[in-house]
Amino acid sequence: MTAHTAATPVRSPARPGVRSWLLLAVCEAKMVIRDTAGLIVPFGLPLLILVMSASSASEAVVTGGRTALDIYVIPLVFTMVIGLIGIVNTPSFLSAYRRTGVLRRLGATPASPVMVLVAQVAVGVAQSLLGIAVAFGVAVAFFGARPPIDVPAALGALVLTVAVMFALGMVVAAVAPTPNSAVAMGLVAYLGLGALGGMFGGKESLPEGVARVGEWLPFGAAVDALSSAWAGEGVAGPHAAVLAATAVAAAVVAAVFFRWE
Amino acid sequence: MNRPAIRAENLRKRYGDTVAVDDLSLRVEQGEVLGILGTNGAGKTTTVELIAGLRAPDGGRVTVMGLDPWRDRAAVRRILGVQLQESQLHDALTVAELVDLYRSFYPSPRPRDELLELVELAKQRDTRFSRLSGGQAQRLSIALALAGRPRVVILDELTTGLDPRARRRMWATVEQLTEETVVLVSHAMDEVERLCDRVALVRAGRVAALGTPAELVRRAGAADLDEAFLVLTGERLGEPDDEDEEAA
Repeated sequence: MTAHTAATPVRSPARPGVRSWLLLAVCEAKMVIRDTAGLIVPFGLPLLILVMSASSASEAVVTGGRTALDIYVIPLVFTMVIGLIGIVNTPSFLSAYRRTGVLRRLGATPASPVMVLVAQVAVGVAQSLLGIAVAFGVAVAFFGARPPIDVPAALGALVLTVAVMFALGMVVAAVAPTPNSAVAMGLVAYLGLGALGGMFGGKESLPEGVARVGEWLPFGAAVDALSSAWAGEGVAGPHAAVLAATAVAAAVVAAVFFRWE
Repeated sequence: MNRPAIRAENLRKRYGDTVAVDDLSLRVEQGEVLGILGTNGAGKTTTVELIAGLRAPDGGRVTVMGLDPWRDRAAVRRILGVQLQESQLHDALTVAELVDLYRSFYPSPRPRDELLELVELAKQRDTRFSRLSGGQAQRLSIALALAGRPRVVILDELTTGLDPRARRRMWATVEQLTEETVVLVSHAMDEVERLCDRVALVRAGRVAALGTPAELVRRAGAADLDEAFLVLTGERLGEPDDEDEEAA
């Protein structure tokens, strides 16, 4: 085989390269940043909850020098941030893109619409991490919050939480017919899972049976996993398994039902 | 003679019970500007989507520069630029950002400033898409269609909804596309007559007649293209197909 004959086709990549993926992610980030209203809820609401419950919770030592703030409030706030961005915000963007033909237009270029999906999720995850960092920073600076006893377990729980929330968000993006219904479905899913997972006043206020079920749903399992990591108890295998299995199942459902237009 | 830029043979596409494209055959030569003229619902947009590989045909075959737009999707998309009807862009991005984004999808894109000058949007480079006028948004979509130095350009309902001045500016832009093969989908007679080398009159998913505007007028024994369209297709322009409406 000769490397350079007249018949050798011009060697250029069939698909856009890394630079194009990065540029698209930057564009998606600009879209999110310029949608100012969309930033307030995922950052503001969890901070509000943190501030409201932090001062009392930071007094009550639960275990190993960790207070109720560390073990209950912070895991809850983290899960809220990731859930809001993953289940509500990201699908609403994707759904709007589908409705207005943004995805259709991209589908006519060498960029596959998958690039948009990946860029959206990347931006959503970055936004979640930023939200978490802000919340944790405030908790540390003003309320003396402390890091998790089992840091690797906390990071693992965080990864699983991100995976499950964004996979659920992709299901919403896949099945919601309009942008408005995506917001509605996302909010219902988020609030429902959150309510069963102790978002409103803790699990203790729920009936025993409901609390049991909620613990095995993504929101409750995520809070429990993070909470265990903070308390240094490691992440319970079943919780991790529920999160991982739900993430995989949701991703499959989303992939099967996703439509570009 | 060179191979055709686009060749469609017996294309068929149906949506449920509705036949959108029914045995449509068409040959577009390289470098020519071909108009596809028809009423709403005649199958123009579906034809464009089949050529662009956005949909798979139910039957028949289409090639763009010898490539199958559905199977050789990646290769076709590098040489094909499209302006789609009713497609929006990322509305919070500026003109320059969108042009750069779309340029990044292609191996050897046109320079950004050249594109902006071509469509007269240099002054609006920092304006967000959501704040552009209808004509400016259409011109931007042409710039994006041309970003990758396409061999074939498809413009779908380019000037629909624009005021007369904006339409003339769009026409001037299209007249600058001398290297490219252009398929111009329209239901405006004056536009097609002015811009196109040949015109395909489409009715009910088929090509009813094909020729230069002058040929079509002569063949129909008509006074102008407007009348030729009526004679050759038996339809009136600018109105949707009413055949299946409230039959009972």
